[in-house]
Amino acid sequence: MCRLIVPLLAAALCAAPVQAARETLPLPPFTTAYQPTTVDERGLWMEADEDERRMRDAPEVIRDPALNAYAREVLCRTVGPARCAAIRLYIVRIPMFNATTYANGMMTLWSGALLRLHSEAELAAMFGHEFSHFELRHTLTGFQRRRSGSDLLAWAGLLGAGGIALPTMVVGGFYRFSRAQEAAADMLGFRYLTAAGYVVTAPADLWTRVMAEQDATEIGRYRKPNQRYVAGFFDTHPTELTRATYLRAAAAQIGGGGVDEAARFRAAIAPWLPRLLGDQIKRNDFGGSEYLLNQLAVDGWTTPLLFARGELYRERGNPRDLSAAAGFYREAIAHGDAPAEAYRGLGLALLRSGQVEAGKAALRDYLARRADAGDAAMIATLIAG
Amino acid sequence: MMTTRLPNRLPRHLLLVVALAAAVPAGASNRLIAAGGRVSIARTPLTVTPASEWNRLGARPGRNAEVWTLDGDTLNALTFYAAIGEGKTLFRQADRREHPLPPVNRTMLLTDIPTLLENSYRSALGVATMTIDHVEPTPFAGAGGVHFSYSFVRPEEAIHVRGEGFGTLRDGKLYLITYEAPALYYFERSAAAARQVAESARLD
Repeated sequence: MCRLIVPLLAAALCAAPVQAARETLPLPPFTTAYQPTTVDERGLWMEADEDERRMRDAPEVIRDPALNAYAREVLCRTVGPARCAAIRLYIVRIPMFNATTYANGMMTLWSGALLRLHSEAELAAMFGHEFSHFELRHTLTGFQRRRSGSDLLAWAGLLGAGGIALPTMVVGGFYRFSRAQEAAADMLGFRYLTAAGYVVTAPADLWTRVMAEQDATEIGRYRKPNQRYVAGFFDTHPTELTRATYLRAAAAQIGGGGVDEAARFRAAIAPWLPRLLGDQIKRNDFGGSEYLLNQLAVDGWTTPLLFARGELYRERGNPRDLSAAAGFYREAIAHGDAPAEAYRGLGLALLRSGQVEAGKAALRDYLARRADAGDAAMIATLIAG
Repeated sequence: MMTTRLPNRLPRHLLLVVALAAAVPAGASNRLIAAGGRVSIARTPLTVTPASEWNRLGARPGRNAEVWTLDGDTLNALTFYAAIGEGKTLFRQADRREHPLPPVNRTMLLTDIPTLLENSYRSALGVATMTIDHVEPTPFAGAGGVHFSYSFVRPEEAIHVRGEGFGTLRDGKLYLITYEAPALYYFERSAAAARQVAESARLD
Protein backbone atom coordinates (compact mmCIF):
# COMPACT_ATOMS: atom_id res chain seq x y z
CA MET A 1 0.00 0.00 0.00
CA CYS A 2 2.83 2.28 0.86
CA ARG A 3 4.21 1.79 -2.61
CA LEU A 4 0.91 3.00 -4.00
CA ILE A 5 0.71 6.04 -1.73
CA VAL A 6 4.04 7.48 -2.72
CA PRO A 7 3.33 7.97 -6.43
CA LEU A 8 -0.12 9.31 -5.62
CA LEU A 9 1.29 11.83 -3.19
CA ALA A 10 3.98 12.74 -5.67
CA ALA A 11 1.41 13.32 -8.39
CA ALA A 12 -0.61 15.52 -6.05
CA LEU A 13 2.53 17.46 -5.21
CA CYS A 14 3.22 18.25 -8.85
CA ALA A 15 -0.29 19.34 -9.70
CA ALA A 16 -1.53 21.14 -6.60
CA PRO A 17 0.30 24.47 -6.41
CA VAL A 18 -0.17 25.46 -10.02
CA GLN A 19 -3.86 24.65 -9.99
CA ALA A 20 -4.39 26.47 -6.72
CA ALA A 21 -2.69 29.56 -8.09
CA ARG A 22 -4.86 29.51 -11.21
CA GLU A 23 -8.12 28.99 -9.42
CA THR A 24 -7.85 31.54 -6.68
CA LEU A 25 -5.70 34.32 -8.11
CA PRO A 26 -7.53 35.75 -11.10
CA LEU A 27 -5.83 39.15 -11.17
CA PRO A 28 -2.20 39.65 -12.11
CA PRO A 29 -0.13 41.03 -9.20
CA PHE A 30 0.70 44.26 -11.06
CA THR A 31 -2.94 45.37 -11.11
CA THR A 32 -3.32 48.82 -9.54
CA ALA A 33 -3.54 48.57 -5.74
CA TYR A 34 -3.57 44.79 -5.97
CA GLN A 35 -4.28 43.08 -2.65
CA PRO A 36 -3.02 39.55 -2.07
CA THR A 37 -5.94 37.17 -1.93
CA THR A 38 -5.06 33.75 -0.56
CA VAL A 39 -3.61 33.04 2.87
CA ASP A 40 -0.29 32.01 1.32
CA GLU A 41 -0.02 35.12 -0.79
CA ARG A 42 -1.00 37.39 2.10
CA GLY A 43 1.67 35.81 4.27
CA LEU A 44 4.39 36.23 1.67
CA TRP A 45 3.42 39.82 0.98
CA MET A 46 3.48 40.56 4.69
CA GLU A 47 7.02 39.19 4.95
CA ALA A 48 8.09 41.08 1.86
CA ASP A 49 6.55 44.29 3.28
CA GLU A 50 8.65 43.81 6.39
CA ASP A 51 11.80 43.36 4.27
CA GLU A 52 10.87 46.44 2.29
CA ARG A 53 10.42 48.61 5.37
CA ARG A 54 14.01 47.74 6.28
CA MET A 55 15.23 48.26 2.72
CA ARG A 56 13.56 51.66 2.43
CA ASP A 57 15.75 53.04 5.23
CA ALA A 58 18.84 50.91 4.61
CA PRO A 59 22.09 52.89 4.40
CA GLU A 60 23.37 50.76 1.52
CA VAL A 61 20.61 51.97 -0.84
CA ILE A 62 21.88 54.41 -3.47
CA ARG A 63 19.59 57.44 -3.34
CA ASP A 64 21.06 59.41 -6.27
CA PRO A 65 17.90 60.78 -7.98
CA ALA A 66 19.44 60.83 -11.47
CA LEU A 67 20.60 57.22 -11.35
CA ASN A 68 17.29 56.06 -9.88
CA ALA A 69 15.30 57.99 -12.47
CA TYR A 70 17.33 56.44 -15.27
CA ALA A 71 16.95 52.88 -13.95
CA ARG A 72 13.22 53.40 -13.49
CA GLU A 73 12.89 54.77 -17.01
CA VAL A 74 14.55 51.65 -18.42
CA LEU A 75 12.33 49.42 -16.30
CA CYS A 76 9.19 51.20 -17.51
CA ARG A 77 10.32 51.11 -21.12
CA THR A 78 10.94 47.38 -20.80
CA VAL A 79 7.71 46.22 -19.17
CA GLY A 80 5.42 49.15 -20.03
CA PRO A 81 4.09 51.95 -17.83
CA ALA A 82 1.13 50.01 -16.40
CA ARG A 83 3.28 47.16 -15.15
CA CYS A 84 6.23 49.21 -13.89
CA ALA A 85 3.91 51.25 -11.64
CA ALA A 86 3.64 48.15 -9.43
CA ILE A 87 7.40 47.98 -8.82
CA ARG A 88 9.49 49.80 -6.22
CA LEU A 89 13.10 49.67 -7.35
CA TYR A 90 16.04 49.97 -4.93
CA ILE A 91 19.60 50.22 -6.22
CA VAL A 92 21.76 48.66 -3.51
CA ARG A 93 25.48 49.18 -3.07
CA ILE A 94 26.69 45.57 -3.21
CA PRO A 95 29.63 45.09 -5.58
CA MET A 96 28.41 41.85 -7.11
CA PHE A 97 26.31 40.96 -10.11
CA ASN A 98 22.72 40.28 -9.12
CA ALA A 99 19.17 41.60 -8.77
CA THR A 100 16.29 40.37 -6.64
CA THR A 101 12.48 40.42 -6.73
CA TYR A 102 10.12 40.03 -3.81
CA ALA A 103 6.51 38.82 -3.81
CA ASN A 104 5.11 42.32 -3.18
CA GLY A 105 6.80 44.04 -6.11
CA MET A 106 9.98 45.21 -4.40
CA MET A 107 12.93 44.87 -6.72
CA THR A 108 16.61 45.42 -5.94
CA LEU A 109 19.41 45.98 -8.41
CA TRP A 110 22.93 45.49 -7.06
CA SER A 111 25.52 48.12 -7.91
CA GLY A 112 27.91 45.41 -9.10
CA ALA A 113 25.48 44.76 -11.96
CA LEU A 114 25.85 48.35 -13.19
CA LEU A 115 29.59 47.80 -13.54
CA ARG A 116 29.12 44.58 -15.52
CA LEU A 117 26.38 45.66 -17.91
CA HIS A 118 27.48 47.19 -21.19
CA SER A 119 24.24 48.64 -22.48
CA GLU A 120 20.74 49.68 -21.63
CA ALA A 121 19.53 46.57 -23.48
CA GLU A 122 21.38 44.37 -20.96
CA LEU A 123 19.87 46.31 -18.07
CA ALA A 124 16.46 45.83 -19.69
CA ALA A 125 17.16 42.10 -19.94
CA MET A 126 17.79 41.97 -16.18
CA PHE A 127 14.65 43.96 -15.43
CA GLY A 128 12.58 41.81 -17.80
CA HIS A 129 13.76 38.66 -16.03
CA GLU A 130 13.08 40.06 -12.56
CA PHE A 131 9.68 41.45 -13.49
CA SER A 132 8.72 38.06 -14.90
CA HIS A 133 9.34 36.49 -11.49
CA PHE A 134 6.89 39.02 -10.04
CA GLU A 135 4.30 38.62 -12.77
CA LEU A 136 4.43 34.81 -12.67
CA ARG A 137 4.23 34.82 -8.83
CA HIS A 138 7.33 32.67 -8.57
CA THR A 139 7.86 33.38 -4.89
CA LEU A 140 4.35 32.10 -4.15
CA THR A 141 4.48 29.00 -6.33
CA GLY A 142 7.98 28.18 -5.10
CA PHE A 143 6.82 28.45 -1.50
CA GLN A 144 3.80 26.24 -2.17
CA ARG A 145 5.99 23.71 -3.89
CA ARG A 146 8.35 23.56 -0.91
CA ARG A 147 5.46 23.20 1.52
CA SER A 148 3.84 20.43 -0.52
CA GLY A 149 7.17 18.65 -0.55
CA SER A 150 7.63 18.88 3.18
CA ASP A 151 3.99 17.79 3.74
CA LEU A 152 4.60 14.80 1.57
CA LEU A 153 7.75 13.87 3.44
CA ALA A 154 5.95 14.24 6.77
CA TRP A 155 3.16 11.91 5.65
CA ALA A 156 5.60 9.47 4.16
CA GLY A 157 7.55 9.48 7.41
CA LEU A 158 4.36 8.77 9.34
CA LEU A 159 3.46 5.89 7.05
CA GLY A 160 7.00 4.61 7.02
CA ALA A 161 7.22 4.88 3.26
CA GLY A 162 9.76 6.17 0.82
CA GLY A 163 13.12 5.28 2.33
CA ILE A 164 15.94 7.42 0.95
CA ALA A 165 14.49 7.64 -2.55
CA LEU A 166 11.49 9.80 -1.69
CA PRO A 167 13.34 12.64 0.07
CA THR A 168 15.83 12.65 -2.78
CA MET A 169 13.03 12.89 -5.30
CA VAL A 170 11.19 15.62 -3.41
CA VAL A 171 14.25 17.77 -2.72
CA GLY A 172 15.57 17.26 -6.23
CA GLY A 173 12.11 18.13 -7.53
CA PHE A 174 12.12 21.41 -5.67
CA TYR A 175 15.44 22.53 -7.11
CA ARG A 176 14.35 21.37 -10.55
CA PHE A 177 11.18 23.43 -10.13
CA SER A 178 13.25 26.45 -9.13
CA ARG A 179 15.42 26.07 -12.23
CA ALA A 180 12.28 25.79 -14.36
CA GLN A 181 11.02 29.05 -12.82
CA GLU A 182 14.29 30.75 -13.73
CA ALA A 183 14.09 29.50 -17.28
CA ALA A 184 10.46 30.68 -17.51
CA ALA A 185 11.49 34.13 -16.21
CA ASP A 186 14.33 34.20 -18.73
CA MET A 187 11.96 33.50 -21.60
CA LEU A 188 9.21 35.91 -20.54
CA GLY A 189 11.88 38.53 -19.87
CA PHE A 190 13.18 37.90 -23.36
CA ARG A 191 9.73 38.64 -24.76
CA TYR A 192 9.62 41.94 -22.88
CA LEU A 193 13.07 42.81 -24.23
CA THR A 194 11.95 42.08 -27.78
CA ALA A 195 8.70 44.01 -27.44
CA ALA A 196 10.56 47.03 -26.06
CA GLY A 197 12.73 47.15 -29.16
CA TYR A 198 16.05 46.32 -27.53
CA VAL A 199 18.70 44.23 -29.21
CA VAL A 200 17.73 40.62 -28.56
CA THR A 201 21.21 39.16 -28.13
CA ALA A 202 21.73 41.27 -24.98
CA PRO A 203 20.94 38.58 -22.35
CA ALA A 204 23.02 35.90 -24.09
CA ASP A 205 25.97 38.33 -24.37
CA LEU A 206 25.61 39.17 -20.70
CA TRP A 207 25.73 35.56 -19.53
CA THR A 208 28.69 34.84 -21.78
CA ARG A 209 30.65 37.65 -20.10
CA VAL A 210 29.56 36.53 -16.63
CA MET A 211 31.09 33.12 -17.38
CA ALA A 212 34.28 34.69 -18.67
CA GLU A 213 34.57 36.79 -15.52
CA GLN A 214 34.11 33.72 -13.32
CA ASP A 215 36.87 31.97 -15.26
CA ALA A 216 39.15 34.99 -14.89
CA THR A 217 38.50 35.05 -11.13
CA GLU A 218 39.40 31.38 -10.82
CA ILE A 219 42.56 31.76 -12.90
CA GLY A 220 43.54 34.84 -10.89
CA ARG A 221 43.30 32.69 -7.75
CA TYR A 222 45.44 29.95 -9.32
CA ARG A 223 42.55 27.57 -9.73
CA LYS A 224 41.03 25.84 -12.74
CA PRO A 225 38.01 27.51 -14.34
CA ASN A 226 34.99 25.39 -13.49
CA GLN A 227 32.13 26.21 -15.82
CA ARG A 228 29.56 23.47 -15.72
CA TYR A 229 27.40 22.23 -18.55
CA VAL A 230 24.63 20.83 -16.36
CA ALA A 231 23.08 22.28 -13.22
CA GLY A 232 23.92 20.47 -9.98
CA PHE A 233 21.34 18.75 -7.80
CA PHE A 234 21.06 21.67 -5.38
CA ASP A 235 21.30 24.52 -7.91
CA THR A 236 18.39 26.96 -7.85
CA HIS A 237 19.35 28.43 -11.23
CA PRO A 238 20.29 26.83 -14.58
CA THR A 239 23.99 27.13 -15.35
CA GLU A 240 25.13 30.32 -17.03
CA LEU A 241 26.09 28.26 -20.07
CA THR A 242 22.59 26.79 -20.36
CA ARG A 243 21.02 30.22 -20.08
CA ALA A 244 23.37 31.76 -22.62
CA THR A 245 22.64 28.88 -25.00
CA TYR A 246 18.84 28.98 -24.93
CA LEU A 247 18.75 32.78 -24.94
CA ARG A 248 21.12 32.82 -27.92
CA ALA A 249 18.86 30.32 -29.72
CA ALA A 250 15.80 32.46 -28.98
CA ALA A 251 17.61 35.53 -30.31
CA ALA A 252 18.56 33.68 -33.49
CA GLN A 253 14.88 32.90 -34.12
CA ILE A 254 13.94 36.57 -33.84
CA GLY A 255 16.79 37.74 -36.03
CA GLY A 256 18.57 41.09 -35.85
CA GLY A 257 17.35 44.58 -35.14
CA GLY A 258 16.76 46.48 -31.95
CA VAL A 259 18.78 49.14 -30.18
CA ASP A 260 21.32 48.64 -27.42
CA GLU A 261 21.55 52.28 -26.18
CA ALA A 262 25.08 51.60 -24.95
CA ALA A 263 26.15 55.25 -25.08
CA ARG A 264 23.12 56.33 -23.08
CA PHE A 265 23.81 53.67 -20.46
CA ARG A 266 27.47 54.68 -20.13
CA ALA A 267 26.49 58.32 -19.73
CA ALA A 268 23.98 57.45 -17.01
CA ILE A 269 26.44 55.50 -14.87
CA ALA A 270 29.46 57.72 -15.59
CA PRO A 271 29.10 59.75 -12.35
CA TRP A 272 29.11 56.48 -10.39
CA LEU A 273 31.84 54.71 -12.33
CA PRO A 274 34.77 55.68 -10.05
CA ARG A 275 32.87 54.47 -6.95
CA LEU A 276 31.73 51.25 -8.63
CA LEU A 277 35.29 50.58 -9.74
CA GLY A 278 36.61 51.35 -6.25
CA ASP A 279 34.18 48.86 -4.70
CA GLN A 280 35.24 46.21 -7.21
CA ILE A 281 38.99 46.76 -6.72
CA LYS A 282 38.60 46.30 -2.96
CA ARG A 283 37.02 42.86 -3.40
CA ASN A 284 40.41 41.19 -3.54
CA ASP A 285 39.58 39.54 -6.87
CA PHE A 286 42.49 40.39 -9.14
CA GLY A 287 41.55 38.17 -12.09
CA GLY A 288 37.89 39.15 -12.18
CA SER A 289 38.64 42.86 -11.73
CA GLU A 290 41.27 42.84 -14.47
CA TYR A 291 38.78 41.12 -16.79
CA LEU A 292 36.10 43.70 -16.02
CA LEU A 293 38.49 46.60 -16.59
CA ASN A 294 39.55 45.17 -19.93
CA GLN A 295 35.91 44.73 -20.93
CA LEU A 296 35.10 48.31 -19.96
CA ALA A 297 38.12 49.54 -21.90
CA VAL A 298 37.16 48.05 -25.27
CA ASP A 299 36.79 51.58 -26.65
CA GLY A 300 39.96 52.83 -24.99
CA TRP A 301 41.41 53.31 -21.52
CA THR A 302 39.74 56.28 -19.90
CA THR A 303 41.13 58.05 -16.83
CA PRO A 304 38.87 56.32 -14.25
CA LEU A 305 39.73 52.91 -15.74
CA LEU A 306 43.47 53.60 -15.70
CA PHE A 307 43.35 54.89 -12.14
CA ALA A 308 41.37 51.83 -11.01
CA ARG A 309 43.84 49.55 -12.75
CA GLY A 310 46.71 51.29 -10.99
CA GLU A 311 45.00 50.75 -7.63
CA LEU A 312 44.31 47.09 -8.48
CA TYR A 313 47.94 46.37 -9.33
CA ARG A 314 49.35 48.42 -6.45
CA GLU A 315 47.17 46.57 -3.94
CA ARG A 316 48.32 43.15 -5.15
CA GLY A 317 51.81 44.55 -4.71
CA ASN A 318 54.20 42.10 -6.41
CA PRO A 319 57.29 43.97 -7.66
CA ARG A 320 56.09 43.66 -11.28
CA ASP A 321 52.61 44.86 -10.21
CA LEU A 322 54.06 47.99 -8.61
CA SER A 323 55.95 48.78 -11.78
CA ALA A 324 52.82 48.25 -13.89
CA ALA A 325 50.74 50.31 -11.45
CA ALA A 326 53.13 53.26 -11.74
CA GLY A 327 52.70 53.05 -15.52
CA PHE A 328 48.91 53.11 -15.29
CA TYR A 329 48.94 56.09 -12.91
CA ARG A 330 51.28 57.96 -15.25
CA GLU A 331 48.98 57.26 -18.20
CA ALA A 332 45.99 58.49 -16.21
CA ILE A 333 47.87 61.64 -15.22
CA ALA A 334 48.87 62.20 -18.85
CA HIS A 335 45.17 62.39 -19.74
CA GLY A 336 45.01 65.64 -17.77
CA ASP A 337 41.86 64.91 -15.79
CA ALA A 338 43.18 62.41 -13.25
CA PRO A 339 42.05 62.68 -9.61
CA ALA A 340 44.64 63.83 -7.08
CA GLU A 341 44.67 60.27 -5.74
CA ALA A 342 46.46 59.19 -8.96
CA TYR A 343 49.53 61.12 -7.73
CA ARG A 344 49.17 59.46 -4.34
CA GLY A 345 49.00 55.99 -5.92
CA LEU A 346 51.98 56.77 -8.15
CA GLY A 347 54.03 57.99 -5.20
CA LEU A 348 53.22 54.98 -3.02
CA ALA A 349 53.88 52.51 -5.85
CA LEU A 350 57.24 54.13 -6.55
CA LEU A 351 58.18 54.17 -2.85
CA ARG A 352 57.41 50.47 -2.57
CA SER A 353 59.49 49.82 -5.69
CA GLY A 354 62.47 51.53 -4.09
CA GLN A 355 62.30 54.65 -6.29
CA VAL A 356 62.29 56.91 -3.26
CA GLU A 357 62.93 60.36 -4.76
CA ALA A 358 60.48 59.96 -7.64
CA GLY A 359 57.92 58.60 -5.18
CA LYS A 360 58.32 61.55 -2.84
CA ALA A 361 57.96 63.96 -5.74
CA ALA A 362 54.64 62.35 -6.72
CA LEU A 363 53.42 62.48 -3.12
CA ARG A 364 54.31 66.19 -3.01
CA ASP A 365 52.19 66.64 -6.15
CA TYR A 366 49.35 64.87 -4.34
CA LEU A 367 49.56 67.13 -1.30
CA ALA A 368 49.78 70.20 -3.52
CA ARG A 369 46.42 69.19 -5.00
CA ARG A 370 44.76 67.86 -1.85
CA ALA A 371 46.23 69.68 1.14
CA ASP A 372 43.02 68.88 3.06
CA ALA A 373 43.16 65.13 2.39
CA GLY A 374 42.31 62.85 5.31
CA ASP A 375 45.74 61.23 5.10
CA ALA A 376 47.76 64.43 4.43
CA ALA A 377 49.70 64.20 7.73
CA MET A 378 50.62 60.56 7.09
CA ILE A 379 51.74 61.25 3.53
CA ALA A 380 53.81 64.20 4.77
CA THR A 381 55.77 61.86 7.07
CA LEU A 382 56.47 59.53 4.14
CA ILE A 383 57.89 62.51 2.22
CA ALA A 384 59.99 63.56 5.20
CA GLY A 385 61.13 60.02 6.05
CA MET B 1 12.81 36.41 -3.02
CA MET B 2 13.88 35.54 -6.54
CA THR B 3 17.30 36.44 -7.89
CA THR B 4 18.82 36.89 -11.32
CA ARG B 5 21.52 34.36 -10.61
CA LEU B 6 22.80 31.98 -8.02
CA PRO B 7 23.85 34.42 -5.31
CA ASN B 8 27.40 34.35 -4.06
CA ARG B 9 27.36 33.35 -0.47
CA LEU B 10 27.51 36.54 1.53
CA PRO B 11 28.80 36.30 5.04
CA ARG B 12 26.19 38.12 7.01
CA HIS B 13 27.34 38.17 10.55
CA LEU B 14 30.06 39.87 12.38
CA LEU B 15 33.51 38.66 11.96
CA LEU B 16 33.58 37.39 15.48
CA VAL B 17 30.47 35.34 15.09
CA VAL B 18 32.04 33.74 12.04
CA ALA B 19 35.24 33.15 13.94
CA LEU B 20 33.33 31.70 16.85
CA ALA B 21 31.59 29.22 14.63
CA ALA B 22 34.82 28.41 12.80
CA ALA B 23 36.92 27.31 15.70
CA VAL B 24 36.56 27.70 19.39
CA PRO B 25 39.26 25.67 21.03
CA ALA B 26 37.87 23.22 23.55
CA GLY B 27 38.01 24.71 27.00
CA ALA B 28 38.53 28.25 25.73
CA SER B 29 36.90 30.67 28.10
CA ASN B 30 36.60 34.37 28.61
CA ARG B 31 38.97 35.82 31.18
CA LEU B 32 39.16 39.00 33.18
CA ILE B 33 42.17 41.18 32.41
CA ALA B 34 43.12 42.98 35.61
CA ALA B 35 44.07 46.65 35.57
CA GLY B 36 47.69 47.70 35.85
CA GLY B 37 49.49 44.53 34.81
CA ARG B 38 51.54 44.02 31.65
CA VAL B 39 49.80 41.56 29.37
CA SER B 40 51.25 39.67 26.43
CA ILE B 41 49.05 39.47 23.35
CA ALA B 42 48.51 36.04 21.77
CA ARG B 43 51.95 34.85 23.00
CA THR B 44 53.78 37.37 20.84
CA PRO B 45 56.29 40.09 21.77
CA LEU B 46 53.44 42.63 21.79
CA THR B 47 52.47 43.67 25.33
CA VAL B 48 50.04 46.23 26.70
CA THR B 49 49.27 47.63 30.16
CA PRO B 50 45.58 48.38 30.59
CA ALA B 51 44.70 51.00 33.20
CA SER B 52 41.23 49.53 33.67
CA GLU B 53 39.67 46.09 33.62
CA TRP B 54 38.77 44.36 30.35
CA ASN B 55 37.40 40.96 29.40
CA ARG B 56 39.39 38.80 27.01
CA LEU B 57 37.17 36.59 24.84
CA GLY B 58 38.07 32.94 24.58
CA ALA B 59 37.13 32.91 20.89
CA ARG B 60 39.86 34.43 18.78
CA PRO B 61 39.42 35.86 15.29
CA GLY B 62 42.74 34.34 14.22
CA ARG B 63 45.82 32.55 15.47
CA ASN B 64 47.69 35.78 16.24
CA ALA B 65 44.72 37.82 17.31
CA GLU B 66 42.54 38.30 20.34
CA VAL B 67 39.55 40.40 21.33
CA TRP B 68 38.92 42.32 24.53
CA THR B 69 35.59 43.85 25.40
CA LEU B 70 33.70 45.62 28.17
CA ASP B 71 30.06 44.86 27.37
CA GLY B 72 30.28 42.24 24.61
CA ASP B 73 32.07 42.36 21.28
CA THR B 74 29.14 43.87 19.37
CA LEU B 75 29.08 46.84 21.75
CA ASN B 76 32.78 47.45 22.12
CA ALA B 77 35.64 45.39 20.75
CA LEU B 78 39.32 46.01 21.23
CA THR B 79 41.02 43.70 18.76
CA PHE B 80 44.74 42.93 18.67
CA TYR B 81 46.50 41.57 15.60
CA ALA B 82 50.08 40.74 16.54
CA ALA B 83 53.03 39.68 14.39
CA ILE B 84 51.04 38.88 11.24
CA GLY B 85 53.69 37.80 8.75
CA GLU B 86 54.07 37.78 4.99
CA GLY B 87 51.26 35.97 3.20
CA LYS B 88 49.09 35.72 6.33
CA THR B 89 45.65 37.28 6.64
CA LEU B 90 44.47 39.51 9.47
CA PHE B 91 41.95 37.01 10.72
CA ARG B 92 40.79 33.50 9.96
CA GLN B 93 39.23 33.10 6.53
CA ALA B 94 35.60 32.08 6.82
CA ASP B 95 35.19 31.51 3.09
CA ARG B 96 38.56 31.10 1.45
CA ARG B 97 37.07 30.07 -1.88
CA GLU B 98 34.50 32.81 -2.52
CA HIS B 99 35.79 35.61 -0.32
CA PRO B 100 39.53 35.20 0.26
CA LEU B 101 41.14 37.87 2.43
CA PRO B 102 44.08 40.00 1.31
CA PRO B 103 47.41 38.90 2.82
CA VAL B 104 50.12 40.95 4.51
CA ASN B 105 52.99 41.84 2.21
CA ARG B 106 56.57 42.53 3.36
CA THR B 107 56.86 45.66 1.25
CA MET B 108 53.71 47.22 2.70
CA LEU B 109 53.90 50.84 3.77
CA LEU B 110 52.21 52.21 6.86
CA THR B 111 49.56 53.74 4.59
CA ASP B 112 48.66 50.25 3.38
CA ILE B 113 47.55 49.13 6.87
CA PRO B 114 44.17 50.92 6.77
CA THR B 115 43.62 49.60 3.24
CA LEU B 116 44.36 46.05 4.38
CA LEU B 117 41.80 46.34 7.17
CA GLU B 118 39.23 47.90 4.84
CA ASN B 119 39.61 45.24 2.16
CA SER B 120 39.56 42.44 4.73
CA TYR B 121 36.30 43.77 6.17
CA ARG B 122 34.77 44.25 2.75
CA SER B 123 35.58 40.65 1.84
CA ALA B 124 34.65 39.10 5.18
CA LEU B 125 31.54 41.09 6.04
CA GLY B 126 30.29 41.83 2.56
CA VAL B 127 30.13 45.54 3.40
CA ALA B 128 30.42 48.05 0.60
CA THR B 129 29.92 51.04 2.83
CA MET B 130 33.19 51.09 4.73
CA THR B 131 35.29 54.23 4.66
CA ILE B 132 38.67 55.15 6.08
CA ASP B 133 38.12 58.65 7.36
CA HIS B 134 41.36 59.99 8.75
CA VAL B 135 44.95 58.73 8.62
CA GLU B 136 47.80 60.29 10.60
CA PRO B 137 51.23 59.34 11.89
CA THR B 138 51.57 58.33 15.51
CA PRO B 139 54.20 56.74 17.71
CA PHE B 140 53.08 53.17 18.34
CA ALA B 141 54.78 50.35 20.26
CA GLY B 142 58.02 52.29 20.46
CA ALA B 143 58.27 53.09 16.74
CA GLY B 144 56.61 55.10 14.01
CA GLY B 145 53.07 53.96 13.35
CA VAL B 146 49.79 54.90 11.82
CA HIS B 147 46.60 56.00 13.55
CA PHE B 148 43.38 55.98 11.55
CA SER B 149 39.66 56.21 12.01
CA TYR B 150 37.04 54.36 10.01
CA SER B 151 33.35 53.67 9.89
CA PHE B 152 31.08 51.10 8.36
CA VAL B 153 27.55 49.78 8.57
CA ARG B 154 26.98 46.26 9.79
CA PRO B 155 25.06 44.50 7.05
CA GLU B 156 21.51 43.39 7.85
CA GLU B 157 21.49 45.46 11.04
CA ALA B 158 21.90 49.03 9.77
CA ILE B 159 24.12 49.78 12.76
CA HIS B 160 26.71 52.47 12.17
CA VAL B 161 30.00 51.40 13.66
CA ARG B 162 32.96 53.70 14.28
CA GLY B 163 36.47 52.40 14.60
CA GLU B 164 40.00 53.49 15.31
CA GLY B 165 43.20 51.68 14.48
CA PHE B 166 46.79 51.90 15.68
CA GLY B 167 49.27 49.97 13.59
CA THR B 168 52.89 49.52 12.71
CA LEU B 169 55.21 47.22 10.78
CA ARG B 170 58.25 45.64 12.41
CA ASP B 171 60.56 43.22 10.55
CA GLY B 172 57.93 42.77 7.83
CA LYS B 173 55.27 41.80 10.38
CA LEU B 174 52.11 43.70 11.08
CA TYR B 175 50.99 44.83 14.54
CA LEU B 176 47.55 46.41 14.72
CA ILE B 177 45.12 47.31 17.49
CA THR B 178 41.59 48.33 16.54
CA TYR B 179 38.79 49.60 18.69
CA GLU B 180 35.26 49.62 17.34
CA ALA B 181 31.81 50.25 18.74
CA PRO B 182 28.40 51.49 17.57
CA ALA B 183 28.68 55.19 16.74
CA LEU B 184 25.67 55.86 18.92
CA TYR B 185 26.73 56.20 22.58
CA TYR B 186 29.10 53.22 22.89
CA PHE B 187 32.03 54.47 20.81
CA GLU B 188 32.64 57.62 22.83
CA ARG B 189 31.95 55.92 26.13
CA SER B 190 34.90 53.52 25.96
CA ALA B 191 37.17 55.27 23.43
CA ALA B 192 39.47 56.74 26.10
CA ALA B 193 40.01 53.37 27.79
CA ALA B 194 40.73 51.74 24.43
CA ARG B 195 43.19 54.46 23.38
CA GLN B 196 44.99 54.10 26.69
CA VAL B 197 45.54 50.39 26.00
CA ALA B 198 46.76 51.08 22.46
CA GLU B 199 49.13 53.79 23.66
CA SER B 200 50.59 51.46 26.29
CA ALA B 201 51.64 48.93 23.61
CA ARG B 202 55.27 47.82 23.60
CA LEU B 203 57.26 45.46 21.41
CA ASP B 204 59.98 43.75 23.40
